[in-house]
Amino acid sequence: MKITLTVNGSRRELEVDDRRLLADVLREELGLTGTKVGCAHGVCGSCTVHVDGRAVRSCLTLAVQADGRAVRTVEDLAAPDGTLHPLQQAFSEEHALQCGFCTPGFLMTALPAADAGVPLDEERARELVSGNLCRCTGYDGIVGAVVRASAICAGAAPAADAEAQR
Amino acid sequence: MSAVEEAREEQAAPGLIGARVRRREDGRMVTGAARYVADVELPRCCEAAFVRSAVAHARIAAVDVEAARAAPGVLAVLTAADLAAVRPLADMLEVESIKTPRPPLAADRVRYVGEPVAVVIAEDRYAAEDAAELVAVDYDELEPVLDVEAAIAGAPLLHDHVPDNVYFRTQFRSGGTDEAFAAADLVVSRALHVNRQLASSMETRGVVAQADPDGLLTVWLSSQAPFQQRYLLALALGLPESRIRVVVPDVGGAFGPKDFVFPEDLCVAHAALTLGRPVRWIEDRQENLMAGSHAKEQKLHVELAFAADGRLLAMRGRFVGDTGAFAYSGPAGLVDVMFSAQSLPGPYVVPAYDYDVLGVLTSKTPVAPYRGVGITAAQTARELLLDEAAERLGIDRVELRRRNLLGDEPATSITGQEYDGGSYATSLERALERIDWAGFPARQAAARAEGRHLGIGVSPFVEGTSLGTLAQLQSGFPMPSHDHAWATVDLTGTVAVGVPTCSHGQGHATAFAQVAAEVLGVGVDDVRVVERDTEASPWGMGTYASRSAVFGGGAVLKAARLLRERILAVASLLLEAPPEALVLEGGFAGIAGVPEARIPLAGIAGAAHFDPGVRAALGESGLRVSVFHDSPPAYSNGCIAVEVEVDAELGTVRLLRTVAVEDCGTMLNPTIVEGQVRGGLVQGIGAALLEHAVYDDAGQPLTTTYMDYLVPRSTDVSAIEVDHLVSPSPRTLGGMKGMAEGSSIAAPAAVLNAVADALSPYGFRVERLPLGPHAVWEGLRAAGTA
Amino acid sequence: MKPSPLTYHAPATVADAVGLLAEHGDDAKVLGGGQSLLPLMNLRLAAPGHLVDATRIDGLGAIERRDGWFELGAAVRQAQAEDDAALAAACPLLAAAFPHIAHREIRNAGTVCGSIAHGDAAAELPAVALALDAELVVHGPRGVRTVGADGFFRSFLETDLEPDELLAAVRLPVAPPGTGAAFHELARRHGDFALAGAGAQLTVRDGVVAEARVACIGVAATAVRARAAERSLTGARADAATIAEAARAAAAELEPPEDLHASAAFRRHAAETLMRRALHDAAARAESNGEEAS
Repeated sequence: MKITLTVNGSRRELEVDDRRLLADVLREELGLTGTKVGCAHGVCGSCTVHVDGRAVRSCLTLAVQADGRAVRTVEDLAAPDGTLHPLQQAFSEEHALQCGFCTPGFLMTALPAADAGVPLDEERARELVSGNLCRCTGYDGIVGAVVRASAICAGAAPAADAEAQR
Repeated sequence: MSAVEEAREEQAAPGLIGARVRRREDGRMVTGAARYVADVELPRCCEAAFVRSAVAHARIAAVDVEAARAAPGVLAVLTAADLAAVRPLADMLEVESIKTPRPPLAADRVRYVGEPVAVVIAEDRYAAEDAAELVAVDYDELEPVLDVEAAIAGAPLLHDHVPDNVYFRTQFRSGGTDEAFAAADLVVSRALHVNRQLASSMETRGVVAQADPDGLLTVWLSSQAPFQQRYLLALALGLPESRIRVVVPDVGGAFGPKDFVFPEDLCVAHAALTLGRPVRWIEDRQENLMAGSHAKEQKLHVELAFAADGRLLAMRGRFVGDTGAFAYSGPAGLVDVMFSAQSLPGPYVVPAYDYDVLGVLTSKTPVAPYRGVGITAAQTARELLLDEAAERLGIDRVELRRRNLLGDEPATSITGQEYDGGSYATSLERALERIDWAGFPARQAAARAEGRHLGIGVSPFVEGTSLGTLAQLQSGFPMPSHDHAWATVDLTGTVAVGVPTCSHGQGHATAFAQVAAEVLGVGVDDVRVVERDTEASPWGMGTYASRSAVFGGGAVLKAARLLRERILAVASLLLEAPPEALVLEGGFAGIAGVPEARIPLAGIAGAAHFDPGVRAALGESGLRVSVFHDSPPAYSNGCIAVEVEVDAELGTVRLLRTVAVEDCGTMLNPTIVEGQVRGGLVQGIGAALLEHAVYDDAGQPLTTTYMDYLVPRSTDVSAIEVDHLVSPSPRTLGGMKGMAEGSSIAAPAAVLNAVADALSPYGFRVERLPLGPHAVWEGLRAAGTA
Repeated sequence: MKPSPLTYHAPATVADAVGLLAEHGDDAKVLGGGQSLLPLMNLRLAAPGHLVDATRIDGLGAIERRDGWFELGAAVRQAQAEDDAALAAACPLLAAAFPHIAHREIRNAGTVCGSIAHGDAAAELPAVALALDAELVVHGPRGVRTVGADGFFRSFLETDLEPDELLAAVRLPVAPPGTGAAFHELARRHGDFALAGAGAQLTVRDGVVAEARVACIGVAATAVRARAAERSLTGARADAATIAEAARAAAAELEPPEDLHASAAFRRHAAETLMRRALHDAAARAESNGEEAS
């Protein structure tokens, strides 16, 4: 099927098999290998991307389901000049990654809350990332990074929205 | 002065070694630019999908691949007959065990659900899986062997040459054990069936192989040991090592099982050689949980004998490992039971000890080492028994431990493990202090008044690390084990160090750069660490068994110091001053106290390359040094303490506070150390409460997705407070000790003892692992109170 | 773990969708958010040759209040419903269920109707529909029918839907004043499928239970209505003793399944505990909601 995806702001027209997973299309047809496939049944969260602004599992999304939609992946977080998003910066500063495989998925999961400018406490941050699995870090660094980044973004950002107010 | 105190004196002044340098790896990882094996892009690469046994034990009557071969996009379908030229995987160790080599594909018999029987190579994975469904295998089913006792007692033989399915047997008698037990005032015992676990790194296994026209086979592997794997591939494929290059890209976690070569790797390599196109196989999660390596399962029975004053008089242990269907690799099969047996004494004084170890084959996926290996089971059994003994002797359970802990000095355990000293008592006291052990009885009483059940547990540990030749001998797995490193300065004045390790999350590119940078007086960013490529990095055993700080760090230290001498020798010639008067600082070699008299490292390198006089003085290898490094074992120690709340109605356990005290000698990078402590600790919580790879009575695995195999989530654990003690090893170069398994070794015992403490009013005993809600409820019923 | 070959359809109207289902019969499945179906397809436990996407059908993406009901179309995502403040106020049991449903990322894609149509016995939304006597609006080649939730869930992953029918909307009743609800689950980890769970909604007037709605999950082949509990609570005071007895009576009627996570006896025991706790919380919230209203 011919589909059109707007990926990280760029309009892409693709011909894909109806059964191809969005994760595979992003990684292979579009070369955006930052998104990982960790389980292909929606539990680990490594494949998390944004579709129309909402964090979803790209392993549980057929590419054709995203036709006409905007998709955002981890490659879009840093600025064109390489400046890291506060969330990426916080992950490094808080040692929130070791092998790095789960990291893109965590970043995309935490991103809406960070961008919404609502500071999160430890408990809310821990709950926010509870849908993503990490086997290396024991989660403290990740929770700390989300708390830190949300505070930084809150300092700089205007009003919050519903997504982050849960 | 004691050996340990002397070592403390010698510790380097604080510099880059021991600094919390932010990891250089992070940049590519947080931007999605890290490249793991699934991200390796090669033109015309095709993909493999395996046909795996659907039954636990059977003769293969026929394999029909005709329909699969004709399916769209299929390039080849291979069975065992097509791989006849590939030798089965065999053991490298001189262990007294019956070997069961593992073929690349099952030929006449399958022995576990998931065993590879055929492989489809197709244009992409979708097409390969479609074709794999068309492969028809005719099985004549045999009775599976699913329990070690049944296996020993006359179940069908999994391998005709392994009587009773027992491939390994050993025992140890220290002398005096029977007498000690006879004279004891109290004997406590526990039988535990340790849950079968899965390392389940977030990245599954993966291999990409490409044969180029010159005959070089390049294999990208998600791996822990590229040189070991190159050798095993060479043996199996019948190729000289020089025709194989193993490249390890970024690795998404490993924890032990990626230390080996697997049947799938052989099939993919063979396909690449014969098809003339690159071939890749990326394990999916179901394959990983079902047919990737399993771990840890054993049945153990441990007895401790005490005097009335709480002195530990003797231990006895019987450890029976459930190895799965193949013991093709000694360490893979035996690390659990052998290390359990060897490490039962732990950080305590044990005057007498007898043990028996059996390695048994079953119709399950073969096991491999997984973080902590069998040390965890021994720790769990022993610490549960210490709490029980304390209660029955009427001695406070911390006091009982204090009375039996080793002193700080190096000592040799009853099993011949040469501890290099530590902070056993101090780490226990520190953990108690941090978790406010003293205030706990009041917290517990207040909660009980509200009908809530709080409990607390403590688990002091010793962690054997740094497997080198001597450690391998002492642990019962003789394997000459050593590493190399090289170091050089290039013409632009930057340093490169080649390291023999294989980072898979441990930050070697940062930590080892810190070592070299401190010795050579440059910035961390001026050191490039070359690792994980058999063409470029130096020969070494890899990263496993907590060896990299000692072997990698030690080798880099050695090489950097040697390079420093060479640099100073050149500088001495150029500056006309004796080497003792020179310093390396800020990327320069200069005369101490004379700021104008200095040469940048680029100048040193230039002279070493192009100045005939300097070249002659330096000798054959110039400014490139190469070192060999083998180290005695080093033993880290520490203590975990955990406070929990148990919902006695639903059987759920919530972690309220978690404290980890870690002493791994000289730390290279405390942030990296803490990360390892936390990660291992959470895996230990998984082992205690959540993780269980289960088979049904027909040998079908029931936990082949993440819905059923339960890896801890962020909300399953509390924040973890980490504290450090530093007892540098008097035996290792630099005083480092390995670390990263200690917290996974000790955490289960701490949690389980805390749960037992919470439910002590009900007489609850930990008998089942893992301790999920159902197990807690059953335990309460057994105690008569649920 | 890649799906088998399939053809994807994105009809714009219900009629088109129904036409596709009629044409392809058993070989077609309705696709909501795919959060239940895609895992099965990736594992090759399900291999529908045709997927009919319900989320692009015009007019099915709305949450609308009509008289005493809220109607949610087939395209309404769980997260969308979760964030709807008016809906949350009107259907407290639904609001109480959402935090237990997997994780936010799954709810961002999954649909309310999709979960109901899938009918997993351990899923929360079928239980909510059952407890609230929801009405299910079903379109098929034979026309439109409205099915009550009671009787909709037939057996394990089996509902009253024919293969050629589409669940186009679900209608949930607006709770009367003085209503409170709670959902309690026993799950191995946060967001996992429940080993057992209970949702309870109580309407309390002058301290007496005017209406009790209780449903359990994970305790049978479908969600079950705990009618014994409802009967013993209606007309009574929602005090600890009554609640405990109600939970006990309801649990005694259960014949839960066994699996590797829990035995039947444990599930029954857990269900009783969870019902008790859910009823306790629901009663407390009903009291405070009643006070607010008065």
